[in-house]
Amino acid sequence: MDTVYLLITGFLSVVLINNLVLTKFLGICPYLGVSGRIDMAFGMGLAVTFVMTLSGTLTWLIDHMVLIPLGLEVTRYVCFILVIASAVQLVEMYLRKFFPPLYDSFGIFLPLITTNCAILGLCLFLNLWGIDSLLEAVVLSVGGGIGFTMAICIMAGIRENLRMVDVPESLQGAPITLITAGILSLAFMGFAGII
Amino acid sequence: MRSIRHFFEQSWLLIVASFFFGLLIAVTNAALSPRIEQNRNSKLNELAGGLLPDATAFTPVAETIEIQALDGKQQKLAVYRATTGSQTVGWVFQVVGSGFADKIELVVAVDAAFTSLAGFDVLASNETPGFGDQIKYGYYRDQFKGAPTDGLTLVKSGDPATIDAQIVAITGATVSSTAVVRAMDHYLPQVKTQLQQKGLIGHGN
Amino acid sequence: MATDSDGQTCVYKNTLLAGLWRENPVLRLLLGMCPTLAVTAAVKPAFTMGMCVVFVLVCSNVMVSLMRDKLKPHLRILMFTLTIATFVTIADLLLKAFQPDMSAALGPYVPLIIVNCIIIARAEACASKNPILLSIVDALSMGAGFTVALCVLAGIREVLGTGKFFEIQVMPKAFVPWAALSMPVGAFLALGFLLGLVTLITKKRS
Repeated sequence: MDTVYLLITGFLSVVLINNLVLTKFLGICPYLGVSGRIDMAFGMGLAVTFVMTLSGTLTWLIDHMVLIPLGLEVTRYVCFILVIASAVQLVEMYLRKFFPPLYDSFGIFLPLITTNCAILGLCLFLNLWGIDSLLEAVVLSVGGGIGFTMAICIMAGIRENLRMVDVPESLQGAPITLITAGILSLAFMGFAGII
Repeated sequence: MRSIRHFFEQSWLLIVASFFFGLLIAVTNAALSPRIEQNRNSKLNELAGGLLPDATAFTPVAETIEIQALDGKQQKLAVYRATTGSQTVGWVFQVVGSGFADKIELVVAVDAAFTSLAGFDVLASNETPGFGDQIKYGYYRDQFKGAPTDGLTLVKSGDPATIDAQIVAITGATVSSTAVVRAMDHYLPQVKTQLQQKGLIGHGN
Repeated sequence: MATDSDGQTCVYKNTLLAGLWRENPVLRLLLGMCPTLAVTAAVKPAFTMGMCVVFVLVCSNVMVSLMRDKLKPHLRILMFTLTIATFVTIADLLLKAFQPDMSAALGPYVPLIIVNCIIIARAEACASKNPILLSIVDALSMGAGFTVALCVLAGIREVLGTGKFFEIQVMPKAFVPWAALSMPVGAFLALGFLLGLVTLITKKRS
């Protein structure tokens, strides 16, 4: 029971309260770049969730099975980025070969994800938060991805409507997106304190 | 044979670079790690020294103190003995509470007999600026200096100047105030029991 | 590239100035948004972050420039990443050893320099094609542009959000700090308006 409670609070925390995009500022580049259309945003969100789950779990395993027992914590960053890069590569090849429809829907986003700071950021936060069970690491990785998908889809929805709005000329494009994100992050602050 | 040769032709730079970078990291780490370790200790010593001004040294307790954290996990806690010469003047350890948005890490100091608090300091927190982060200011923290180690309670109104088990919450930051008191109430009795079991402090008061 | 020495000075001068305004990585190219937003609540961490990026940028540009002739196309990105990750680890160790407070304040945003687009973009666009000296100049210029942009944003947020600048009280006592500016909200809003201002200035000039 305790474990279930812990997992649920952890999940809610990473999706709503400590949302990677809106409070930790991770993955801002795709957030600004791909949030123009809602279907693109959703595809990107799915791809990120997928890779994040995979690399969060893998890096946690490597950290706890290899690096910590051997005292090689100093090479953590190099290992993490290599794991993420190869995971993305493998997923891309696998999808292209065996699931062409899936590859068509979010495959184009995969190469972009290697340098998406949300992925590496989550792996580092898993380490910083001192997560010590595999189950928790997996749940938080999925949660991080879902939080990203949610944030980017909300943003895409807002931006589709923003097109009909008369935005001051100098604020068009990235500035207005950032200001909107600010208001969104203000709204998400309301979730703090629910657990 | 050919494919192996091809492989090396393509990737010799990668292999050489990996060894070189590995060496570079190893050298830097070897050169800097004593300093990093020293920094980590001095940060704790500095905070603990502010709480227990009489103490001249803080040494880790050799016995394992195992307690249950707020989220129900068993964890080992590093407890430090504060000494002046050969005399124990207090105990220092780290407490983790669950704050408004994130964890709150506190350094807590108690007196030698573990009957009253010597105070606490905030090691790391992510509370709202202007509201929750007031837990690190004197008017809240001073209420803990000399307060009993068991049965702390949080009250909404009262006189913060009176030192007793009643801690007056910060207006507008009840969650953060509660978090500190709850973390203390959770950790203190456990550490006390453990220290008594290991014979480091006497039973009773 | 120009062969005569006058032409070369010109190239260096252009490169040096590009990063500060015309191709400012943060304000004009919108690269490296993550640290820009995350560490600009106060000037000191922002400046420290800027210095770390300069260090990593210079080191990685030098390394990439040294091996630019030997790079195999399909292993290029892997080599860049490996180089950057190594120097970020070293920067992180240096910070932990000499600036422990800042290291704690920046937390995971130091290792996140690895995925900062500025560095890999400069490695790809400049260092893999140019000799060492020009790569260093480019790194310094881009790094300075990044640091300046971060410090401007952090200055606005720190002065209005806490009434202090570089941890020294500058605003009168009667000033009520706009605490929201120190929070995530403030980061987004301040950067949004700053970018708007930059666009406005550019338009006015041309």
